[in-house]
Amino acid sequence: MQIKFNSILISKKFLNGLLFCSSVFIFSCDEASYDLNNPFDPENMDLDPPALFFHPSEIDTKKDSSFSVQLYGLKLNPAAAAQLDVRYDWGSVKIDSVKADTFFQSQNDPIQIVMDEDGTLDIFIYLLPDSDVNQNEGGTWPLATVYFTAISTGDSELLFGNNTRLRDANNDSVRVKSFGSGFIYVE
Amino acid sequence: MAENKPLLSKMSIIRIIIVIQFVSLCFAEETIKPVSLKTGKQLAILEFEGWAISEPLTTFLTEELRKTVRDLKIFQVQDRGITNQIQIFKPRNKDYWSCWSTECVIDLGRRLNVNYVIAGNIQKKGDDEFLIKGRLFSVDMETLLNEFSLNSSGISDSLLLEMRKMAYNVSGLPIPENLSIESDTTQVATVEKIKRKRKWIHLPPIPSKIKALLLSTALPGSGQVWSNKKIPGYGFMGTEASLGTAALIAYYQYNKAWGGFQETYQSYQNGSDPHDLLELRPQIIQYASDTRKYNAFMKNIRSVGLSIWFVNMIHAYLVAPSDDFFDGDYFFDLEYNPDANKVQFNFNF
Repeated sequence: MQIKFNSILISKKFLNGLLFCSSVFIFSCDEASYDLNNPFDPENMDLDPPALFFHPSEIDTKKDSSFSVQLYGLKLNPAAAAQLDVRYDWGSVKIDSVKADTFFQSQNDPIQIVMDEDGTLDIFIYLLPDSDVNQNEGGTWPLATVYFTAISTGDSELLFGNNTRLRDANNDSVRVKSFGSGFIYVE
Repeated sequence: MAENKPLLSKMSIIRIIIVIQFVSLCFAEETIKPVSLKTGKQLAILEFEGWAISEPLTTFLTEELRKTVRDLKIFQVQDRGITNQIQIFKPRNKDYWSCWSTECVIDLGRRLNVNYVIAGNIQKKGDDEFLIKGRLFSVDMETLLNEFSLNSSGISDSLLLEMRKMAYNVSGLPIPENLSIESDTTQVATVEKIKRKRKWIHLPPIPSKIKALLLSTALPGSGQVWSNKKIPGYGFMGTEASLGTAALIAYYQYNKAWGGFQETYQSYQNGSDPHDLLELRPQIIQYASDTRKYNAFMKNIRSVGLSIWFVNMIHAYLVAPSDDFFDGDYFFDLEYNPDANKVQFNFNF
């Protein structure tokens, strides 16, 4: 049997087939979309660098438990020594220990002096020069880590005091434009 | 004397009747033979062609087939000597397919004065594997009636068994159990395969322009090359290949950037160290920018490539040899209808 169809207009099915084939070429690769909203990112902390801030800036803890806070420098210029004046609620938390961190680390461990008196913690840290360097390169690094123990419940604040300052190898002042604060919530 | 006359005449009448009966009986016996022959059961089995097996073996196997078919008493099998006389009247060469077509076999069947002819061949497929093919032709109807195909593994004993099975097949009788114990089911499959193959051979021809268009759609430039327009053909092919290579390189770069983006973004989202986060931030921005850049490049290549592809298709259609393709024999056609002022798609089947 022979059936002959003459002059049939391009059918809807044929058009659909063409569209389907064409759609293969229309597909494209994914475009990267992102949201840089990590709360620990210093760019999200409303700080004007060079700056000093507490990391983490908010601490939830329980009474009699220990925790640590890093004293962090953001985009600091090269420095050789620092005095970090930290104010805390000495009825709520007590200082266990303090440890100098990466910022003043050279081939030698830095020298540190800690003075803790009635809610005022003074930390003096000095970079110990080696054969290559007599001051660090600056940047975003932790200056020191403070270990606390919560002794009573309630909220308290961590602040940098007026005596906080940085010096370079020539004993010139290193500018710090802004200071962050920290909050401790003890249950 | 007057009393003896009637007696003699009675005896004479009885003798005459006996003679008539005897003579008619004799004639009757002779006339049955041609009637029996004209019932259309005369079968000639041509010597099977052997491929990669010895001639004495094919002769032996053919004779076994003759014997078995003869024993089944469905056909009157022509004697080997008579069948082989055809070699004297019409010598055939030793080609494998020398007499396998309907025309050739029907011609031989007429010469041999038979109603049916079986032609076949035995092929050696592997070390111990044989394929036996046979065709049953009707000389009166001038057609191929049936086709048989059997696989056999092992040498002569198995082949003999297969020839006997074929005899049953030819005679239209069920294969007895003692033969079908080792029956090879590939027979059915092979025959089915042959039948199925036949269904695909009658596709209508495709017009040259459409063929060139399809070729160039599948592989740019191939339609032009097929139409002997090699320079534009290879030009399209080379251009598309270059664009394809560029797209491939871009895709590789994109993939690299995308991988880097995913890795750094994941680290950023899960990280907690301000120093690390600050270092990850510009990397994420850079990777994201790269993915956008390579993606845009690929999109541009794709647009250009597709445009050239379409131009190539149209070019292939235009440069292909024009034939009177919509004369009712061809499958489909795109043509301009001036009455309707539209390009129309026609097809027939």
